[in-house]
Amino acid sequence: MKRIIISHEARQLFRSGAFRALLLLMAGAVAFAAWSGQRSIDRQAEGANAAAAFEDGRRARMREGTEQYQARVLAEGGEYQFASASHSPGAGPPQGTNPGVVGSTTAKYLTLPPTGLASFSIGQSDIQLSYVPVSMNPAMNITRDNELENPVNLMTGSFDIAFVVIFLLPIFILAISYDLLSSEKERGTLAMILAHPISLRELLASKIVARAGVLLAGILALGLAALLAVGASLDQTDTWVRFGLWMAATLLYALFWFALSVLVNVYGRNSAANGIALAGAWLALVVVAPTLVSLLATTLYPAPSRMELTTAARQAQTEAESAYMERLSEYYYDHLELVPEGDGSAMDFLTVAMANRNAVDKAVRPLHDEFQAQLNRQESLVQRFQFISPAIMMQLALNEISGTSADRYEHFLNQAYDFRAEWSEFFTVRFLQRSPLRPADYDQFPVFEHREEPFGAVMTRLLPSLLGMLALLATAIVVPLLRLRRYQVAAT
Amino acid sequence: MIVAIARKEFLEIVRDGRFKWTAGIMALLLLTAMAAGYQKYSAYMDMQRLSQDKTNAQWLNQGDKNPHAGAHYGNYAFKPAGPLAFFDNGINNYAGTALFMEAHKQNFAIGRPASDQSSIGRFGDLSGAMILQLLMPLLIIFLGFTAFAGERESGALRQVLSMGVSNRQLLWGKALGIGAAVLLIVGLCVAAGGVALSFADLPMENESLGARVALMALAYLLYGVIFLFLTLAVSAWAKNARAALMLLIGFWAFAAFLAPKAAVEISKAAHPTPAFGKWMADMRSHQMRGIDGVPPFARFEQESREIFAGYGADSIAELPVYVGALRLQKFEEYDFPVFEKHYGELRDSYTLQRRLQDRIGIVAPTLPLRSLSMALAGTDLIRHVDFADAAEAHRRDMARKVNDYLGKAAVSLNTGYGGGNVLIADEAVFAIVPPFKFESQGLGAVLAEHSGNFIGLALWLAAALGLALWSARRLKAEEG
Repeated sequence: MKRIIISHEARQLFRSGAFRALLLLMAGAVAFAAWSGQRSIDRQAEGANAAAAFEDGRRARMREGTEQYQARVLAEGGEYQFASASHSPGAGPPQGTNPGVVGSTTAKYLTLPPTGLASFSIGQSDIQLSYVPVSMNPAMNITRDNELENPVNLMTGSFDIAFVVIFLLPIFILAISYDLLSSEKERGTLAMILAHPISLRELLASKIVARAGVLLAGILALGLAALLAVGASLDQTDTWVRFGLWMAATLLYALFWFALSVLVNVYGRNSAANGIALAGAWLALVVVAPTLVSLLATTLYPAPSRMELTTAARQAQTEAESAYMERLSEYYYDHLELVPEGDGSAMDFLTVAMANRNAVDKAVRPLHDEFQAQLNRQESLVQRFQFISPAIMMQLALNEISGTSADRYEHFLNQAYDFRAEWSEFFTVRFLQRSPLRPADYDQFPVFEHREEPFGAVMTRLLPSLLGMLALLATAIVVPLLRLRRYQVAAT
Repeated sequence: MIVAIARKEFLEIVRDGRFKWTAGIMALLLLTAMAAGYQKYSAYMDMQRLSQDKTNAQWLNQGDKNPHAGAHYGNYAFKPAGPLAFFDNGINNYAGTALFMEAHKQNFAIGRPASDQSSIGRFGDLSGAMILQLLMPLLIIFLGFTAFAGERESGALRQVLSMGVSNRQLLWGKALGIGAAVLLIVGLCVAAGGVALSFADLPMENESLGARVALMALAYLLYGVIFLFLTLAVSAWAKNARAALMLLIGFWAFAAFLAPKAAVEISKAAHPTPAFGKWMADMRSHQMRGIDGVPPFARFEQESREIFAGYGADSIAELPVYVGALRLQKFEEYDFPVFEKHYGELRDSYTLQRRLQDRIGIVAPTLPLRSLSMALAGTDLIRHVDFADAAEAHRRDMARKVNDYLGKAAVSLNTGYGGGNVLIADEAVFAIVPPFKFESQGLGAVLAEHSGNFIGLALWLAAALGLALWSARRLKAEEG
């Protein structure tokens, strides 16, 4: 009997024009999302390559200058000298010999490599640059630039696979299940079916199995198709592990909506009332709850304004400049071993500028740290309140799985700050020693290698979201089971 | 008759327990959104004014230094929020708030609030506009989907029609009744919010606030009426209430969520914006090689004879202005066309994208409404571009004034070297640059750009009304 019902239900589903249209719509949405996600990732890669090529090209030209200069020195005799910083081209040693100039006027672009699933969830990667410039300039400059994007588009958000899963998939699920029992009851067929040797629980289970089977097969097929079409690094285990997690999260999320639909159905209202209740639940959980949590986070822990940070940085700059003589000696104090003989040459523009930068950096650091701390407080509030909405849990989970989460970005930025220290040190020491850069030195520049977070860290952040959804799902399953006994089969 | 039907419809809705719940929730959300919006708005505006005053003072009191170093120190322009930002914050979270104005470089506005927020912020802001754009249509659907379909199922429709009521009267009556119920919630809350805000001190000179509010109200009214007639049309046409509800919710989800995002992706493909890295590399390379292929240094050499002749001089020694300052100013000017080209192309791609999205509004009324609402609130792209233009004009003026001063003050350097220390400017010198002031183009420019969106809404209204009249005419009293 159960088998008959399951196969009947599945056949009925596929025969209904509305279902086929919905399925087609879902497939179309996934294809569209995959296409736009891919475009977004490609654009980022193009930007990262162009920026790196530009800055590397400038260093390469400086190196060429030093090569020519070296050849000239070799041919004509004399000393390989150090150029003082200057804006205008001249006859002396080329600017490329000055480590301070190379280190502060050219930047090294560091790239956060996308994961294999990056195109599945764009997250904040359309705002935050996935490639950042590092130089001797203040650490704040690393995050100064944003990715270029029409603010209207940012406001609307991306049509990525995460959007399809979080917003559209529930609508699809609710549309095929909102009248699971109520439609049979309204047609009067429910009582007839139950006259056969089958219990209401078994009937419900069969209907659920049919729909859930179709649904799961659909998700698996579409997800796999999307992965094969726009996933990257398919030869790496990491990608497949992430895809497995993506699948697990999506299934949990889908089953929750399914269970919610069943839950509403066992209360025995008519189909229209079920439809209203479920549409209301969708609106509340997917649209309203996230905005409320966000409002709560920004109201309880408002980030200090960027404007405030800006004016404070300028204040620090003015103070630094007015006391620059003092700053300069303090700066040398930090690098005591490096004070050149006969100090006079140290007073040039670049040294002063570097000393100033150093002072500004120090003065702004506490503000910047406070800023970051407040953001972390916001983020942890969101982490705690995510459990009130499966959509929030799902968004956090999908960003985490796709490698577009705030935490992975911060991990990358911290590496960038460390690299900046290394890069600055390399050039500062040589600059203060007035040690000219030779062509061969260009091969010695620090090299950045992105270290991926340990997978355990990703899982630690991911687990609360997944467990939260599991708990929500369990609740949504248990309630109807208890409630089902009291279901009235005949319409009253 | 129409009034009687409207009265019955209105009373039936208002007396329903579900109405009280939905109305209560809707009102609560709307008032919360307006209160939060106002709180954020006033905090932002306070900070904006304070910061602008501070950096203006910093510019003057930056200490005695070389005037050109002063231009490098520059100043910041902070963007005011727009007159109705507390209702519709528009793109403000996603566009920069602070623009650095310095010698040699045009900059983007930085400090987008969204990048200083949790990623959950991307679900959107709870604002009055968001509630009216997304929730109000759903409320209308909930209140109206049974209007015809429900009464047909219960048999009431047959009775009513037998009493000689025309289909058209029935349609108008129901529209009035449901409309009144929606207005009761939305109108009351908006009015309450408006009255509360009129006691608050909003800085709104020259913003034609009254006209903005009136047009805003008109746009949202049109939007609501579109959904009202669509709901009635579907309710009259559909087989039963259940089918009507599903169809309407499907359309709502399409119009409010799917279509805007799809329109964004389509417009991005049609008018692509380069990635930051690519754009930056292109522009800076262009700057280095010069707008017409002659790098700035070489170009100045080439043109120097002509430039000197402009001052009636043959050599540097005869120049009445300091040649270094002249060169600085020329270099500024050589960059103008490069900036105009690259920033201009970027801006054009944004505008073209937005226009295409507005046109896609032909399939979803939420698109033109949203665009219109932002524009009227002064939180749209036009306002942002105005701000960036004002800042760039200020930047050029600042550089020119400082270079002019330097040219005159340091003319002795043309003949003798080693006098670098005389190049000191003080507060009085920096005061030649007036403080930054931003005035938007005002309502006229908004209306010129967005007349298409009003037309779009009007077309939607005509279509919805036509559809409602058509389905009302072929209204069947019984199922099947």
